[in-house]
Amino acid sequence: MSYTLEIQTKARELLTSKQVECVIGYEVGLRGRTRPAFVYDAQDVERLVWNQACTHNLTTYLNDKLNPQGPVKNKTKEHTPGRVAVVVKPCDSRAINVLLAENHFPRELLHVIGVVCDGILEKVGQSGNLRSVRQLPISDLSQVQSRCQRCEGHMPVTYDTLIGECPSHQELSLGKANQADLIHIQAMTPAERAEYWFSQFDRCIRCYACRQVCPMCNCPTCLYERDDSLWVGIRIGLNEKRTFHLGRAFHLAGRCIGCDECERVCPMNIPVSLLNRMLAKEVEALFGHRAGLAPIPPPFVTVLSGS
Amino acid sequence: MKLTTREGLASWLDSLAHEVNLIAPRDIEGVLLYRPVKSSMEIVLEFINPVLSVKEAFFPATERLLTIEKTGQQITLNETLPEGKQVVFGVRPCDARGLKVLDANFTNTEPFDPYYTQRRSNTTVVGLACHQMSPTCFCTSVGIAPNDPGDMDVMLYRVEDGYIVQTVTKKGQALLSALPLETKELSQNGSDLHNSYIYDQAERVPVPEMSTWLAHFRDIYWEQVAERCLSCRICAYVCPTCRCFSVRDEVLSSENGRNQYERIRCWDSCAGEAYRRIAGGHNPRPEKGQRLRNRFLCKFVYYPRQYALGYAACTGCGRCIDACPVNIDITEVMQHIEEVSQ
Repeated sequence: MSYTLEIQTKARELLTSKQVECVIGYEVGLRGRTRPAFVYDAQDVERLVWNQACTHNLTTYLNDKLNPQGPVKNKTKEHTPGRVAVVVKPCDSRAINVLLAENHFPRELLHVIGVVCDGILEKVGQSGNLRSVRQLPISDLSQVQSRCQRCEGHMPVTYDTLIGECPSHQELSLGKANQADLIHIQAMTPAERAEYWFSQFDRCIRCYACRQVCPMCNCPTCLYERDDSLWVGIRIGLNEKRTFHLGRAFHLAGRCIGCDECERVCPMNIPVSLLNRMLAKEVEALFGHRAGLAPIPPPFVTVLSGS
Repeated sequence: MKLTTREGLASWLDSLAHEVNLIAPRDIEGVLLYRPVKSSMEIVLEFINPVLSVKEAFFPATERLLTIEKTGQQITLNETLPEGKQVVFGVRPCDARGLKVLDANFTNTEPFDPYYTQRRSNTTVVGLACHQMSPTCFCTSVGIAPNDPGDMDVMLYRVEDGYIVQTVTKKGQALLSALPLETKELSQNGSDLHNSYIYDQAERVPVPEMSTWLAHFRDIYWEQVAERCLSCRICAYVCPTCRCFSVRDEVLSSENGRNQYERIRCWDSCAGEAYRRIAGGHNPRPEKGQRLRNRFLCKFVYYPRQYALGYAACTGCGRCIDACPVNIDITEVMQHIEEVSQ
């Protein structure tokens, strides 16, 4: 059975038996673009699909669904939480563990439909670059995203239903490939790195899409967007942008699971995920911790609390 | 009809860059943006549309309005109006229409915005007709066209031998008199201009009446579409007509006991959660569906009605469709509203 049919079948079963009130998955819109879908009715499950454009990390919607009375960034509406099912890729599934470790919602409220994923294509749902000067050569369209090329194991780390088969040992990719861009930056002197990042931040328009799409950026009021400008002003200027991006990277250290959606959504093609990956390496080297492999808190909680 | 060659255009742009602040499409690390250029070599001439609209040159993302200095009991205000002549080159009809839409609020209605108005009067708009429409373009549905010169000062049309140059306004004429562009007369007549462009005239997106939009104000549809909305600001920031901003007084560095502040304004968007929150903490649009609905109604009802535009405030550029991370599609919304009204 194709993944699409398996997901539809499972969704129908979950909704009909009222095990969940909503299935968060993917659908294809009128223009043929894949996007997040929220299915509440068993009759609508045929909207759900799986394809190689399922780039979105759907766990970013979980807080609103499962913790609506709590402090939630970006509320849909007031309601009492019911159980939901969510379709996740291996990277997305790690976000669930981080959210669980940070006590955002109980695991029992969630039915995880984990997908054994072959990789998501480059340039899908891409902002910004579609209108740039370059025409996409056909070869680009067949290439998977660089985060997929780095993926280890292709297996969700948590699931209630598994779509696809656990890859045999031979099929597991090495995963450590394609850190070339990170290595390139690390080879720069601090002065060169500063120049590089300032030229990247220069294009930033503080649209906050990177923050909004991230499941781990869930502060109800972002430090960098306070009404009283306590820490950073509203100016869309280099100082403020540097503060936001570097500060955000630190807040995600040990928490970012590397889905790279932040980079995908940026309309200005800023390589945001590089910062997060850099700090992820640092945290792993210092504390032996990698975000999301298990529902344990990041070292900034455990080490500071002495546990 | 006047024709200039590619070389003629390049040399004109080079001399223009010496005389004024020339803003044209540039490739900034793979992102196409309207930015100041020093020479014609930096300009991209083959493109669909830059990521951000040309409104940046008139209504920048951040703008200082005034400086405030407080010495003892003495407070001095210093207005910082924009100076200097500008030419924006390579403007598409959708963006030029966007400027007309912004004019309704900033320059044609009291109180006039002196910052925008000053830039507008100091700037000449040189358009470049589109050669094709991208799949998300729908300017022909909102009353303009890819080769429409109506909102430009000067309009260029690329043809095989170079560019046809059309003077549209007195301001455009003044620019070409001050800095002539080398042209020769063509014997063909003007109707060829339309024939040399093949653009997709097939699917028109319906533009529902204002009353239709309002009749569906309470539909659950808004909540359903907005469920995937991330409340980022991309749609408003790439839009040629979104113009909401935040104003704040912030501290500048102080020295010798002088306290200096600046009043700045920055782009903001009604899609953001905090946008409509008022003093006291109440937020009349706490839910995503309310904010999404507001953005669409502003484009098709509130703004056209308030300023008696005569057309929608959406210019069909399609940037929001391409840029939205979750594929919220304004044409899909327009079609839905039209369909449910049948």
